[in-house]
Amino acid sequence: MRRYKPLLPVFAIYVILLIIGATTPGLWQPIMFIMFYIGIGVALNNFLGLTGYVDFGYVAFLAMGAYGMAVALNYFTELGFGAVALGFFLALLFSALLCIAVGGVALRLRGAYFAIATIGVNEGLRYLIEGARIWGGSEGIVLSGKLRKAFGPDFANYLSTFVADVCLIIVIFVASVITIYLINSRVGYALLALREDEDAAKVVGINVTKYKLIAFFTSAAIGSLIGASAWTLKLTYVFPEDVFFIHYTVEAIVIVMLGGAGTLLGPVISGLIYGALKYYLSVILPGFQLLAFAPLLIIIVVAFPDGIVGYVRKKLRGKSLFEYIR
Amino acid sequence: MVLLRLEGVTKRFGGLVAVDHVDLEVNEGEAVGIVGPNGSGKTTLYNIISGVYLPDEGKVFFEGNDITKLPPHERTPLGLARTFQIPRPFGAASVKENVAIGAMFGRAKANVDEAMKMADEYLELVGMYELVNKEAKLLTPLEKKLMELARALAMKPKLLLLDELMAGMNPNDINRIIELVKKIKVKENIAVVSMVEHLMHAITQFAERVVVMHQGKKLIEGPTMEVLNDPKVIEVYLGKKMVIEGYEG
Ligand SMILES: Nc1ncnc2c1ncn2[C@@H]1O[C@H](COP(=O)(O)OP(=O)(O)O)[C@@H](O)[C@H]1O
Ligand SMILES: [Mg+2]
Repeated sequence: MRRYKPLLPVFAIYVILLIIGATTPGLWQPIMFIMFYIGIGVALNNFLGLTGYVDFGYVAFLAMGAYGMAVALNYFTELGFGAVALGFFLALLFSALLCIAVGGVALRLRGAYFAIATIGVNEGLRYLIEGARIWGGSEGIVLSGKLRKAFGPDFANYLSTFVADVCLIIVIFVASVITIYLINSRVGYALLALREDEDAAKVVGINVTKYKLIAFFTSAAIGSLIGASAWTLKLTYVFPEDVFFIHYTVEAIVIVMLGGAGTLLGPVISGLIYGALKYYLSVILPGFQLLAFAPLLIIIVVAFPDGIVGYVRKKLRGKSLFEYIR
Repeated sequence: MVLLRLEGVTKRFGGLVAVDHVDLEVNEGEAVGIVGPNGSGKTTLYNIISGVYLPDEGKVFFEGNDITKLPPHERTPLGLARTFQIPRPFGAASVKENVAIGAMFGRAKANVDEAMKMADEYLELVGMYELVNKEAKLLTPLEKKLMELARALAMKPKLLLLDELMAGMNPNDINRIIELVKKIKVKENIAVVSMVEHLMHAITQFAERVVVMHQGKKLIEGPTMEVLNDPKVIEVYLGKKMVIEGYEG
């Protein structure tokens, strides 16, 4: 149990956020908006943070999840809740297939080459879906009418408000446990070693490709479940230009780096900060995040190369609080 | 029993033959010294044994099995461990984590809890107990070397390859490390191959047998004192200077 202490502050943050959202009128949606950014930070951190590899095509895994859920709800609507379950299964399946296609090849490459190899994945997949008119092509999949007809407006509404949010929350809680489990396991130590020095890691006996793949699959799976809940279930439509929007990848990278790559608390805190800023500032200053990214990234790299939580952890080394901050 | 056998191992870098048809045998539990001037191919030989480089020619056998083409991470668990000439710590990890990682993925194959205990033991052994929580990249070069030794020992190897481990250490440290390695070698029946550029004194204290490398080739091999007093060896170490002087004159 001792190793799971870092979940305490993280779960405390989640619970406090959710209580605030549930009890304050008008705050539930902003809180869920923030939870989404915490979620993609935690999800991508399992790959970017734990391996040090940058995946510029990451949002494609959320897209695969979104399509998995949309395909299930669109073609197997009559299954009701069964269709939602099938949707999560397809989300995992589609993202796993993409993982095999991308990871099997690209993860044999070193960091910078891997990053370059992933740049095309996202756009390529989007043009494939649009060009070959897969899953509705560029028109996407619109579910609202179908869901209303099949279940009646009440149940359809219940799905897209209550069920979608609950699913996202569950995914984030589970993802957080998985992160701590990984960090504390042999997998986590293998990743720590290869992140620092891949050649030395091999000589110490670590099968680096295997462990990179484990991190890649985990991160992709969590991303796909977020895409399935926060996008398809909640919005009841999927458009390729939305779900393949590279912006989400960049946002997730910033959240991971700002918070502290490889920590769990890091992406949670910076997801919270980023989500809140974006929600309120985008009203006043639309597109602010584009302006903010570059200076923000430079500040992080120069002043806090280990991110906020990485910095705090360093200060706490050897102290009792250290065990809770991860 | 023969633990490691190299047969005609050759490695070229472009036109340079860094290791030239080297045959070598190391027996179980034996202490072998590899001596040779800078650039004579010692580190390259280690890289071939540990799988960092594939040889252009020749074969590598470990416990009779051909491991020539095996990737490093499949050789290590068989019982290989090495230190690096220029230490390669996992910088952001703590000293303890560095050593524990060795215990987890080397021949020891320890689980996380066992590995942490082993890390404490071996760090205590090399005299670094008070540094366990320190970030590895903050260590001094000497501490990094000691940590790598602890990491290699925690892997529970059958064959330990030390690359200039004692270079840059003061005589006190050298004596301490030699005594330490000797003790563990006997206790755990580890074969130790230690390579050095100079430090002949250290090698005489430690090695039962010495191999002298020169320009990628094995120049001579035999019992330590005999080899180090051989005229050919003296020439390798002093000869170059004499030749230059000869040309000048
Ligand atoms: N990766 C490499 N690429 C090119 N040349 C190399 C490489 N590694 C070693 N060499 C060359 O091979 C020769 C032997 O080097 P090395 O094995 O490091 O010798 P030693 O450890 O005995 O000092 C040297 O001439 C060195 O420059
Ligand atoms: Mg060398």
